[in-house]
Amino acid sequence: MRILLMGHPNVGKSAVFNRLTGARVTESNYPGTTVDYTKGRVRIEGDSFEIIDVPGAFSLEPKDKAEEVAVKMLEENKEAVAICVIDASKMERGLYLALQVIEKGYPVVIALNMWDVAQDKNIEIDVEELEDILTVPVVPVTAISGEGIRELALRIKEASLVKIEKIIEKAGN
Amino acid sequence: MLDLEQRWELIDKIAKRTIKFGKYRHTLKDAIAEITVKPLTGIPIAIAVLYGFWAFFVAFAGFFTDGFLVKLFDMHWLPWLQEVFPAGKESWLYYIFVGDPLADNCFEAFGMLTSGLFVVIGVVLPAIVAFYLVLIVLEDSGYLPRLAVLIDTVLHKIGLHGYAIVPSILSLGCNVPACTACRILETKKQRFIMRTILAIFIPCGAQLGIMLKVIPETVGWVILYLLAGYFILGFILSRIVPGESPELLLDIPSYQRPTFSNVGRKLWVRTSSFFTTAIPFVLLGVIIINVLHLTGVIDWLATGLGPLLSGWFGVPKETVGALIVAFLRKDLAVAQLSAIEMTKYQMVTSVVLVSIYFPCIATFVMLLKEGGVKGFLGSLAALVATVFLYGGLLHLIWILLGVA
Repeated sequence: MRILLMGHPNVGKSAVFNRLTGARVTESNYPGTTVDYTKGRVRIEGDSFEIIDVPGAFSLEPKDKAEEVAVKMLEENKEAVAICVIDASKMERGLYLALQVIEKGYPVVIALNMWDVAQDKNIEIDVEELEDILTVPVVPVTAISGEGIRELALRIKEASLVKIEKIIEKAGN
Repeated sequence: MLDLEQRWELIDKIAKRTIKFGKYRHTLKDAIAEITVKPLTGIPIAIAVLYGFWAFFVAFAGFFTDGFLVKLFDMHWLPWLQEVFPAGKESWLYYIFVGDPLADNCFEAFGMLTSGLFVVIGVVLPAIVAFYLVLIVLEDSGYLPRLAVLIDTVLHKIGLHGYAIVPSILSLGCNVPACTACRILETKKQRFIMRTILAIFIPCGAQLGIMLKVIPETVGWVILYLLAGYFILGFILSRIVPGESPELLLDIPSYQRPTFSNVGRKLWVRTSSFFTTAIPFVLLGVIIINVLHLTGVIDWLATGLGPLLSGWFGVPKETVGALIVAFLRKDLAVAQLSAIEMTKYQMVTSVVLVSIYFPCIATFVMLLKEGGVKGFLGSLAALVATVFLYGGLLHLIWILLGVA
C-alpha cells in the first residue's frame, strides 16, 4: 500500500513525513518549500508502507509546476491512501482539497495539523463530530513536536472509501 | 463530482457543526506580523534584517577564517607539507599537490592539498555555515513571505512577482536548489526569467565567502553591479519573452519560533551535502588546472584568447585559467584570480566575469533539467549576450573613469 501526503502549501506535510519516516526532508515556514516529491518508508505495527511527501496544492486544478507534480502523483497512484494534512487553524480551506480527494475515490485519513496553534487561537474543533460526518479518521496532530503522530500512523488502516452523497446527507441534519 | 459552489456549501455546513471560534486575543506575534508587512514600517525592518544577515555572515566567516584557519593553513599546514611531501620540489607531483615551493600562503601555492583544501575548509566552509544558519532561521520563522509582499512592486517590473524573492535568496546559498524552487512561480515565462537571471547574476554562498576574503574592499561594488545586472536582464527578458506574468497571490504564514532541532537538522544536511558535492569538485578543479598548466594548454589558450580578454574585457590573459575553473567551482576560480597580478579595477572585472560567465556545472545541469532544451538554449543565449555586453560595459566604465 502506498500513502500520499496531500494538503495545501505550508500546512506541515514535510513535518508529518519526517516524523513518520525519520527522514530529513526540508521543513520550512513558507509555502512552496517542497516542489518535488520524496518517497520514504514507514513501519506501522510491523508492516512497512511506502509514503510520499507531495508538494502542496490548493486544489486539484494545478496553477504552478509544483501543483502539477501533486496532481500527477495522485493520478499515478490510483490505489493509494491519502493522508490529507489540514492546518487546524484554517480548517475550512483545507477541507476543500480533502473533499476533492474523497470525491476522486481515494480512502482518506485527515491529519488536523498545527493543533497547538489552533488551541492558542481559541479555536475549538469537535473532532468526534467531524469524524462522524466525514466517516473517515480525523486525528489532531502537532507535527513539529510529534504529538499525535503515533495515533495518525495507527489509524491509517481505518481509511476507507466514502461516497460524497453520504457526507452531504450526514452534514445536512 | 460536486462543483465549486456545492463543495463550499457542504464545507460551510460541516464547519458550522464542528468549529467554535473562541475569543481571539491580539498577541505580540500579531503586532510583529503587522509591522513587518506594512510598507512604512516593513521596509526599514526589511533593510535592517538583510543588513543584519550580511553583517552576521561577514563577522562569522571572518572570525573563523582570519582568526583561526588562515593561521592554521599558512603557518602550520603549508610549511609542514612543503617539508614532508615525498616527491621532489621540481616534480610534477609536487606541482599538482603542493604547488609553488616558494609560496608562503595557501592562496598562492595552488596545489590540491594546499589551496584546494584551504579554499574549501578554510574559507568557504565557515561562510556556508554562517549563511545557512541565518537563512534557515529566516525560512523557519516565516519572514520570507513577508519580504515577498514588500518587494512585490519592484519585481513586477521584471516580469516576476514578490515570491521570486524566495528562489533569489535561496540562490545566494546555492544556485542548484534555487533552480528547482523556481517551480513555485506560475508561468513558464516567470520560471524562465527567474532561472536565467539567478544563474547568471546571483553569486552563491561559496563564492560570496571567497570574495569576502580576496577582495574585501570592493566586494560591495561587485555585488551591486551584479544586482543591477539582475534587474536589467530581468527587465529586458520580461519585454521579449512571450507569456504571462500573473499577480502575486500569497498565503502569509504566522510567525513561528524556529526550533533547535529543525535548524540543526537542516544545517547539518546542507553542510554535509556541501562536503560531498563541493570538496571533490574543488580538489578535482585544482588537479585539472595544474595539469593544464603543466601540459601548456593554459598558455596556449591564454595566447589565443588574450586579445579578446585584454581587448574587450580589459583583464590580463592569465585569467583564462580561472575562467576554465569557474565552470567547475566559482569559489576556486575567484581564489585563483587572487594569485594573478592586476589592478584593483581589473580584479573587479575579472570577478564579475567569473560570476556571470557560465554557471557552475551543477547549475548548468539544473537549467537543462528544469527548462528543457528550449529553455536551456534561451538561457544560454541570454548568458552569452550578457557576458559580452555587460562584461564589456564594465571595461568601458573603467575607460571612461580613466582607470583602465
